[in-house]
Amino acid sequence: MAYPSMGEAHRRITDYLNNFSDAVSYQDVASLAQLFSFSSNSPPLLSVADALNFFQDANRLIKQSEKFSQYGEILAPLFRSLQSYRTGNLVDAYHAFEKFANAFIQEFRNWESAWALEALYVIAYEIRVLAERADRELASNGKSPEKLKGAGSFLMKVFGVLAGKGPKRVGALYVTCQLFKIYFKLGTVHLCRSVIRSIETARIFDFEEFPRRDKVTYMYYTGRLEVFNENFPAADHKLSYALTHCNPLREANIRMILKYLIPVKLSLGILPETSLLEKYNLLEYNNVVQALKRGDLRLLRHALQEHEDQFLRSGVYLVLEKLELQVYQRLVKKIYFIQKQKDPSKAHQLKLEVIVKALKWLEMDMDLDEVECIMTILIYKNLVKGYFAHKSKVVVLSKQDPFPKLNGKPVNS
Amino acid sequence: MDDSTRRRQQRRNQPSSSTSSTAPTRFRSQKFSTNPTKTTQSSNFIPRSNTTTGTTRDSTRNPAHIPNWKSEANAATNKHEEETEAREDVGSIIGTCPFMCPEGERAQRERLRDLAVFERLNGDPRKTSPALAVKKFCRTISLKYVQSSDVRPLAVLENTLNYLLNLLDSSEHPFEVIHDFIFDRTRSIRQDLSMQNIVNERAIHMYEKMVKFHVVSHQRLRSCSSSSISSLQYLNLEQLTKTLTSLYIMYEANHDNNSVYENEAQFRSFYVLLHLDSKNQQTELLSLWFRRVPSLIMKAKEMCFARQVLRLYRMGNYKRFLYTVSSEASYLQYCIIEPYVNEELDVESLCHSCGLETLTDNGENKSLPMKQTTFSFPKGSLQSYKLIGLQQ
Repeated sequence: MAYPSMGEAHRRITDYLNNFSDAVSYQDVASLAQLFSFSSNSPPLLSVADALNFFQDANRLIKQSEKFSQYGEILAPLFRSLQSYRTGNLVDAYHAFEKFANAFIQEFRNWESAWALEALYVIAYEIRVLAERADRELASNGKSPEKLKGAGSFLMKVFGVLAGKGPKRVGALYVTCQLFKIYFKLGTVHLCRSVIRSIETARIFDFEEFPRRDKVTYMYYTGRLEVFNENFPAADHKLSYALTHCNPLREANIRMILKYLIPVKLSLGILPETSLLEKYNLLEYNNVVQALKRGDLRLLRHALQEHEDQFLRSGVYLVLEKLELQVYQRLVKKIYFIQKQKDPSKAHQLKLEVIVKALKWLEMDMDLDEVECIMTILIYKNLVKGYFAHKSKVVVLSKQDPFPKLNGKPVNS
Repeated sequence: MDDSTRRRQQRRNQPSSSTSSTAPTRFRSQKFSTNPTKTTQSSNFIPRSNTTTGTTRDSTRNPAHIPNWKSEANAATNKHEEETEAREDVGSIIGTCPFMCPEGERAQRERLRDLAVFERLNGDPRKTSPALAVKKFCRTISLKYVQSSDVRPLAVLENTLNYLLNLLDSSEHPFEVIHDFIFDRTRSIRQDLSMQNIVNERAIHMYEKMVKFHVVSHQRLRSCSSSSISSLQYLNLEQLTKTLTSLYIMYEANHDNNSVYENEAQFRSFYVLLHLDSKNQQTELLSLWFRRVPSLIMKAKEMCFARQVLRLYRMGNYKRFLYTVSSEASYLQYCIIEPYVNEELDVESLCHSCGLETLTDNGENKSLPMKQTTFSFPKGSLQSYKLIGLQQ
């Protein structure tokens, strides 16, 4: 971009100031929000930034007219932030943006109606993104990255501003979701709890009132928390809500939801079709599903190993590991069916050594004692109905429904 | 008033709640490959300093960064502090105290007769010496008022630590007393390290030794019989977790891209073993924690062992759990796992007694409920699983 002349710079800045002031006067939230949507990198915004860096004395322009100076506290740091952003100095850009945001909030509180909520959303988003970039800059300079944490504190304050009886309260869920993103990124997910408690128990909030997009995001994150806690029925409920209410055109979002919903459903005994996995590029689960269908323990272990890094990073590894018991159940069930075909009258008696042999064939080296242990666990957790005759080393299956299906309930713990 | 009572009193006096057992010290360092740690609940470390004593930089120190003590309750003030901090280029203290205990403290404690048994010269509670006195942990220090002559430099701290750990071999005193003393004095060592922002390899080795101390205490305290044992055990576990977490931050801060510390895998494995239970959101903690462990470490032998133990324990496969533990656990790992092993042996006997009992019940086809305690012990013999002998 060519350097503007002094006159040109002056014009751009004054135009910007006029846009700001008019947007506020006419409550034109769309125009207002554009003025500080840095991450959009829109050419008009960048050209104003260039003008500011060239002109260097924008504060004088702000003070020139009452129309602008009434917003001086907001505009001055906004300009500084824009300038630093343009020159790639993200730490300074963040600091100034936070000052701007604080000043904006003060003004926002005075506006009775909720007309400026969309602008507030933009601020919440921008501050988080700027903080992330500032932290990267700090880290690369060997300094401690603390800006994202600061952004979190700021957003908590914003949450407090919105958590009142007026019409602004519907904005609280958006801010909550930005907070979730911050906490998940920082790993401080326990901090989500207090926000969740406010949303779910405060009387001023009615969950149905919130915008749909925010509800989906909220359920996605709270669903993920339930997955971390291995609270599968709750996780299923929340992630399924997110899935059903998500815009079907947003395939990337659906994929994110499915990434967590699939392990949950697997834990409840519900298997996805391969076509689903293919459609949303989640084929890392394919072998896991096959292992469950076939009772192939070796395949499960292999699948976990193959995608170990991925599963660990998303936090579903331990959930998938637990599926082992269901794989054992399937294997034993298959042995039962084979026996039934050969001799239906004796089928309900499974000799331990037969199971050991089957496992050996799968290259799983287990002795009688260990298999006995596993069978006992299966019985205890109601995956197998029957009892274990210790002396004769035989599993005696119940004649009725010896392999109860999970039917959407998690394995008993 | 002996040391442990005083320490407990100090705990009661502190203003903020200390529910966390994972609050780390915060260290800043030259290289950050990941964002540093998660929680900021109260830690036993010191609030930020405003002093700049000493200006020479040396290779053991981090430039310009100070441990950050923050409580989530003070989010608003923290933000303000963060803003000011960003503007200043603050230094950190460089300690100059040549003794294990600063002279001023030594003289004061002599006067007040506040000397632990190990510090007394010839058993005299009013006299100590530079060779015996060791600096105590003090919770309420504000860095503003700390003098560099009160802080021990790295070499002195290393010697102090070795001196303290040698006391573990002493047979003159019961273990609780030794533990209590070392517990407090090593905490003070960590305090001095953090005040000076020392996070290099030597500090890592010191932390590793301190973790070892807590792990061994974890086991030895179980066989002690005094009345205050359970609180000692709880406090020990708390410090163990805090020290471990600080150690991990130091590992992370010191990573070149491909190198890992030779002991890192084993010390990481301790975290997994401490969280074998799935209650109290431990699972959440583990899943989150795994996300940040470097891939190389996850694949290392000691971590694979710990993960396998975790899997076996949570599945209930006690047979292989016991087998794996007995054949592969290192001494330190076993110290941590031991309480779970004892638990498993009970379940196992119950398991078998249930199995036998149901057989005698006319072979009714029902599932085996393990939780029933109304069974009488069966007539048949209980097969006992012998624990293969452990090597230390």
